[in-house]
Amino acid sequence: MSSQPANDTKPNGPVAAAFIAAGAASFALGLIVVLNEAKILSGAFLDFAKNYGIGSGVGPLSGKVILSTIVFLAIWGILGFIWRGKEVNFGRAFAAALVFLALGFVLTFPPVFDLFLAK
Amino acid sequence: MALTDREGWALIHGLVFGALFLLAFGGGFAGLWSLREKFLTAEGVAERTPRLLIGTVGMAVIAWLTVIVGTWVVYPWYRAVPPEGADLTDYPKSLLIASPTTADWHNFAMEWKEHVAWFAPFLATAVAFAVAYYGVQLVRRSDVRRAATTFFILAFVAAGIAGLFGALITKAAPVA
Repeated sequence: MSSQPANDTKPNGPVAAAFIAAGAASFALGLIVVLNEAKILSGAFLDFAKNYGIGSGVGPLSGKVILSTIVFLAIWGILGFIWRGKEVNFGRAFAAALVFLALGFVLTFPPVFDLFLAK
Repeated sequence: MALTDREGWALIHGLVFGALFLLAFGGGFAGLWSLREKFLTAEGVAERTPRLLIGTVGMAVIAWLTVIVGTWVVYPWYRAVPPEGADLTDYPKSLLIASPTTADWHNFAMEWKEHVAWFAPFLATAVAFAVAYYGVQLVRRSDVRRAATTFFILAFVAAGIAGLFGALITKAAPVA
Protein backbone atom coordinates (compact mmCIF):
# COMPACT_ATOMS: atom_id res chain seq x y z
CA MET A 1 0.00 0.00 0.00
CA SER A 2 3.05 2.31 0.10
CA SER A 3 3.67 4.93 -2.59
CA GLN A 4 5.61 8.18 -3.03
CA PRO A 5 4.73 11.31 -1.02
CA ALA A 6 2.97 14.02 -3.05
CA ASN A 7 4.62 17.40 -3.57
CA ASP A 8 7.17 17.07 -0.76
CA THR A 9 4.53 16.98 1.91
CA LYS A 10 4.48 14.83 5.03
CA PRO A 11 3.65 11.15 4.45
CA ASN A 12 -0.08 10.46 4.64
CA GLY A 13 0.01 7.26 6.72
CA PRO A 14 -1.06 8.81 10.06
CA VAL A 15 -3.95 10.69 8.42
CA ALA A 16 -5.10 7.58 6.54
CA ALA A 17 -5.03 5.77 9.89
CA ALA A 18 -7.28 8.41 11.48
CA PHE A 19 -9.81 8.24 8.63
CA ILE A 20 -9.99 4.45 8.69
CA ALA A 21 -10.31 4.51 12.49
CA ALA A 22 -13.26 6.92 12.30
CA GLY A 23 -15.02 4.72 9.74
CA ALA A 24 -14.26 1.54 11.67
CA ALA A 25 -15.54 3.04 14.94
CA SER A 26 -18.82 3.94 13.23
CA PHE A 27 -19.10 0.40 11.89
CA ALA A 28 -18.23 -1.01 15.33
CA LEU A 29 -21.04 1.00 16.90
CA GLY A 30 -23.49 -0.32 14.30
CA LEU A 31 -22.29 -3.87 14.81
CA ILE A 32 -22.62 -3.60 18.60
CA VAL A 33 -26.16 -2.24 18.20
CA VAL A 34 -27.09 -5.25 16.04
CA LEU A 35 -25.41 -7.73 18.40
CA ASN A 36 -27.31 -6.15 21.28
CA GLU A 37 -30.64 -6.44 19.43
CA ALA A 38 -29.85 -10.09 18.66
CA LYS A 39 -29.04 -10.61 22.39
CA ILE A 40 -25.55 -11.84 21.50
CA LEU A 41 -24.28 -8.92 23.59
CA SER A 42 -26.68 -8.45 26.47
CA GLY A 43 -27.91 -5.10 27.72
CA ALA A 44 -26.55 -6.02 31.16
CA PHE A 45 -23.05 -6.52 29.73
CA LEU A 46 -23.22 -3.25 27.82
CA ASP A 47 -24.41 -1.27 30.83
CA PHE A 48 -20.90 0.08 31.52
CA ALA A 49 -22.38 2.95 33.53
CA LYS A 50 -23.69 0.46 36.10
CA ASN A 51 -20.94 -2.17 35.78
CA TYR A 52 -18.00 0.21 36.07
CA GLY A 53 -19.58 3.23 37.76
CA ILE A 54 -19.23 5.42 34.66
CA GLY A 55 -22.29 7.60 35.14
CA SER A 56 -25.75 6.68 36.31
CA GLY A 57 -28.80 5.52 34.40
CA VAL A 58 -27.22 5.59 30.95
CA GLY A 59 -27.86 1.89 30.39
CA PRO A 60 -26.49 -0.18 27.48
CA LEU A 61 -25.78 2.93 25.40
CA SER A 62 -22.81 3.58 27.69
CA GLY A 63 -21.11 0.32 26.68
CA LYS A 64 -21.92 0.75 23.01
CA VAL A 65 -20.31 4.18 22.77
CA ILE A 66 -17.37 3.41 25.07
CA LEU A 67 -16.51 0.26 23.10
CA SER A 68 -16.76 2.08 19.76
CA THR A 69 -14.58 4.90 21.11
CA ILE A 70 -12.00 2.30 22.20
CA VAL A 71 -12.13 0.85 18.66
CA PHE A 72 -11.53 4.35 17.27
CA LEU A 73 -8.51 5.01 19.47
CA ALA A 74 -7.08 1.50 19.13
CA ILE A 75 -7.27 1.36 15.33
CA TRP A 76 -5.94 4.89 15.01
CA GLY A 77 -3.07 4.05 17.36
CA ILE A 78 -2.18 0.72 15.74
CA LEU A 79 -2.46 1.83 12.10
CA GLY A 80 -0.85 5.17 12.93
CA PHE A 81 2.11 3.31 14.44
CA ILE A 82 2.40 0.89 11.50
CA TRP A 83 2.04 3.68 8.93
CA ARG A 84 4.08 6.40 10.67
CA GLY A 85 6.48 7.96 8.20
CA LYS A 86 4.86 6.04 5.33
CA GLU A 87 2.95 7.13 2.25
CA VAL A 88 -0.02 4.83 1.63
CA ASN A 89 -2.62 4.60 -1.12
CA PHE A 90 -4.90 7.25 0.33
CA GLY A 91 -7.70 6.68 -2.15
CA ARG A 92 -7.97 3.06 -1.12
CA ALA A 93 -7.76 3.92 2.59
CA PHE A 94 -10.48 6.53 2.27
CA ALA A 95 -12.68 4.16 0.25
CA ALA A 96 -12.35 1.60 3.05
CA ALA A 97 -13.25 4.28 5.60
CA LEU A 98 -16.35 5.24 3.60
CA VAL A 99 -17.48 1.61 3.31
CA PHE A 100 -17.13 1.17 7.09
CA LEU A 101 -19.01 4.41 7.66
CA ALA A 102 -21.82 3.46 5.26
CA LEU A 103 -22.20 0.13 7.07
CA GLY A 104 -22.32 2.04 10.35
CA PHE A 105 -25.13 4.25 9.07
CA VAL A 106 -27.06 1.20 7.80
CA LEU A 107 -26.64 -0.88 10.96
CA THR A 108 -27.69 1.95 13.28
CA PHE A 109 -30.86 2.61 11.25
CA PRO A 110 -33.71 1.25 13.41
CA PRO A 111 -35.65 -0.57 10.63
CA VAL A 112 -32.41 -2.44 9.84
CA PHE A 113 -31.28 -3.37 13.35
CA ASP A 114 -34.86 -4.32 14.26
CA LEU A 115 -34.48 -7.14 11.71
CA PHE A 116 -32.02 -8.73 14.13
CA LEU A 117 -34.29 -8.41 17.18
CA ALA A 118 -34.17 -11.63 19.21
CA LYS A 119 -37.59 -13.26 19.45
CA MET B 1 -39.12 32.86 33.54
CA ALA B 2 -36.79 30.25 35.00
CA LEU B 3 -35.21 27.08 33.71
CA THR B 4 -35.09 23.87 35.68
CA ASP B 5 -31.76 22.09 36.03
CA ARG B 6 -32.87 19.59 33.37
CA GLU B 7 -34.10 22.26 30.98
CA GLY B 8 -30.78 24.08 31.41
CA TRP B 9 -28.73 20.99 30.50
CA ALA B 10 -31.05 20.16 27.58
CA LEU B 11 -30.55 23.73 26.37
CA ILE B 12 -26.76 23.46 26.64
CA HIS B 13 -26.82 20.09 24.83
CA GLY B 14 -29.13 21.10 22.03
CA LEU B 15 -28.99 24.83 21.55
CA VAL B 16 -25.66 26.11 22.87
CA PHE B 17 -23.51 23.27 21.54
CA GLY B 18 -25.73 23.04 18.47
CA ALA B 19 -25.20 26.69 17.59
CA LEU B 20 -21.45 26.45 18.19
CA PHE B 21 -21.32 23.29 16.08
CA LEU B 22 -23.06 25.06 13.20
CA LEU B 23 -20.69 28.00 13.51
CA ALA B 24 -17.61 25.76 13.54
CA PHE B 25 -18.96 23.74 10.61
CA GLY B 26 -19.59 26.83 8.51
CA GLY B 27 -16.10 28.20 9.09
CA GLY B 28 -14.38 24.86 8.71
CA PHE B 29 -16.27 23.89 5.57
CA ALA B 30 -15.63 27.22 3.85
CA GLY B 31 -11.96 26.94 4.78
CA LEU B 32 -11.58 23.39 3.49
CA TRP B 33 -13.53 24.07 0.29
CA SER B 34 -11.53 27.12 -0.70
CA LEU B 35 -8.13 25.77 0.30
CA ARG B 36 -6.84 25.36 -3.27
CA GLU B 37 -3.55 26.47 -4.75
CA LYS B 38 -5.27 28.16 -7.71
CA PHE B 39 -7.30 30.38 -5.36
CA LEU B 40 -4.62 31.39 -2.90
CA THR B 41 -1.15 32.85 -2.62
CA ALA B 42 1.34 31.33 -0.16
CA GLU B 43 0.56 34.23 2.19
CA GLY B 44 -3.15 33.54 1.83
CA VAL B 45 -2.67 29.89 2.77
CA ALA B 46 -0.55 30.84 5.78
CA GLU B 47 -3.12 33.41 6.88
CA ARG B 48 -6.14 31.11 6.75
CA THR B 49 -4.63 27.84 7.96
CA PRO B 50 -4.79 28.75 11.69
CA ARG B 51 -8.44 29.73 11.24
CA LEU B 52 -9.15 26.42 9.53
CA LEU B 53 -7.46 24.62 12.41
CA ILE B 54 -9.60 26.49 14.95
CA GLY B 55 -12.77 25.68 12.99
CA THR B 56 -12.05 21.96 12.62
CA VAL B 57 -10.65 21.41 16.12
CA GLY B 58 -13.53 23.46 17.50
CA MET B 59 -16.07 21.32 15.69
CA ALA B 60 -14.43 18.12 16.96
CA VAL B 61 -14.34 19.37 20.57
CA ILE B 62 -17.96 20.54 20.42
CA ALA B 63 -19.04 17.23 18.86
CA TRP B 64 -17.43 15.29 21.73
CA LEU B 65 -18.94 17.61 24.36
CA THR B 66 -22.39 17.34 22.77
CA VAL B 67 -22.50 13.55 22.68
CA ILE B 68 -20.98 13.17 26.15
CA VAL B 69 -23.45 15.61 27.73
CA GLY B 70 -26.30 14.13 25.71
CA THR B 71 -25.47 10.55 26.67
CA TRP B 72 -24.40 10.98 30.29
CA VAL B 73 -26.47 13.94 31.47
CA VAL B 74 -29.68 14.31 29.45
CA TYR B 75 -30.33 10.74 28.26
CA PRO B 76 -30.65 9.19 31.77
CA TRP B 77 -33.48 11.65 32.51
CA TYR B 78 -35.12 10.74 29.20
CA ARG B 79 -35.04 6.97 29.81
CA ALA B 80 -35.71 6.94 33.59
CA VAL B 81 -38.26 4.29 34.59
CA PRO B 82 -41.30 5.78 36.34
CA PRO B 83 -42.51 4.36 39.64
CA GLU B 84 -45.97 2.81 39.72
CA GLY B 85 -48.68 5.40 39.12
CA ALA B 86 -46.26 8.27 38.40
CA ASP B 87 -47.14 11.19 36.13
CA LEU B 88 -45.50 10.19 32.84
CA THR B 89 -44.81 13.79 31.81
CA ASP B 90 -41.68 13.54 33.98
CA TYR B 91 -40.58 10.39 32.10
CA PRO B 92 -40.31 11.21 28.37
CA LYS B 93 -39.49 7.72 27.05
CA SER B 94 -42.34 6.11 28.97
CA LEU B 95 -44.68 8.89 27.91
CA LEU B 96 -43.83 8.41 24.24
CA ILE B 97 -44.10 4.61 24.15
CA ALA B 98 -47.35 4.65 26.15
CA SER B 99 -49.28 5.74 23.05
CA PRO B 100 -49.15 4.15 19.58
CA THR B 101 -49.41 7.62 18.06
CA THR B 102 -46.15 8.76 19.70
CA ALA B 103 -44.23 5.48 20.16
CA ASP B 104 -42.20 5.96 16.96
CA TRP B 105 -40.68 9.12 18.40
CA HIS B 106 -38.80 6.72 20.64
CA ASN B 107 -38.71 3.50 18.59
CA PHE B 108 -37.43 5.21 15.45
CA ALA B 109 -36.28 8.77 16.14
CA MET B 110 -34.58 8.36 19.53
CA GLU B 111 -33.18 4.92 18.71
CA TRP B 112 -31.48 6.34 15.61
CA LYS B 113 -30.45 9.65 17.14
CA GLU B 114 -28.73 8.20 20.21
CA HIS B 115 -26.44 6.08 18.02
CA VAL B 116 -25.83 8.08 14.86
CA ALA B 117 -24.85 11.19 16.84
CA TRP B 118 -21.66 9.43 17.90
CA PHE B 119 -20.38 9.30 14.32
CA ALA B 120 -19.91 13.08 14.38
CA PRO B 121 -17.02 13.21 16.89
CA PHE B 122 -15.21 10.29 15.24
CA LEU B 123 -15.37 11.92 11.81
CA ALA B 124 -14.70 15.47 13.00
CA THR B 125 -11.66 14.30 14.99
CA ALA B 126 -10.14 12.64 11.91
CA VAL B 127 -10.65 15.87 9.96
CA ALA B 128 -9.16 18.03 12.71
CA PHE B 129 -6.16 15.71 12.89
CA ALA B 130 -5.61 15.93 9.12
CA VAL B 131 -5.65 19.74 9.29
CA ALA B 132 -3.36 19.84 12.32
CA TYR B 133 -0.96 17.28 10.83
CA TYR B 134 -0.55 18.92 7.43
CA GLY B 135 -1.00 22.58 8.33
CA VAL B 136 -0.10 24.78 5.36
CA GLN B 137 0.88 21.65 3.37
CA LEU B 138 -2.78 20.63 3.16
CA VAL B 139 -3.24 22.93 0.15
CA ARG B 140 -0.88 20.63 -1.77
CA ARG B 141 -2.71 17.44 -0.71
CA SER B 142 -5.92 17.67 -2.70
CA ASP B 143 -6.69 13.98 -2.01
CA VAL B 144 -6.61 14.51 1.75
CA ARG B 145 -8.44 17.83 1.49
CA ARG B 146 -11.27 16.25 -0.53
CA ALA B 147 -11.54 13.36 1.93
CA ALA B 148 -11.52 15.77 4.87
CA THR B 149 -14.28 17.86 3.25
CA THR B 150 -16.38 14.73 2.68
CA PHE B 151 -15.94 13.54 6.28
CA PHE B 152 -16.66 17.04 7.55
CA ILE B 153 -19.98 17.08 5.66
CA LEU B 154 -20.85 13.56 6.85
CA ALA B 155 -20.10 14.58 10.44
CA PHE B 156 -22.52 17.45 9.96
CA VAL B 157 -25.14 15.09 8.47
CA ALA B 158 -24.83 12.72 11.45
CA ALA B 159 -25.12 15.61 13.89
CA GLY B 160 -27.96 17.08 11.84
CA ILE B 161 -30.01 13.88 12.05
CA ALA B 162 -29.43 13.76 15.79
CA GLY B 163 -30.17 17.46 16.26
CA LEU B 164 -33.35 17.44 14.19
CA PHE B 165 -34.78 14.40 15.94
CA GLY B 166 -33.66 15.78 19.29
CA ALA B 167 -35.66 18.95 18.70
CA LEU B 168 -38.73 17.04 17.52
CA ILE B 169 -38.60 14.56 20.42
CA THR B 170 -38.22 17.42 22.88
CA LYS B 171 -41.31 19.02 21.38
CA ALA B 172 -43.28 15.78 21.82
CA ALA B 173 -41.95 14.94 25.30
CA PRO B 174 -39.56 17.46 26.86
CA VAL B 175 -36.98 16.55 29.46
CA ALA B 176 -38.07 18.95 32.18
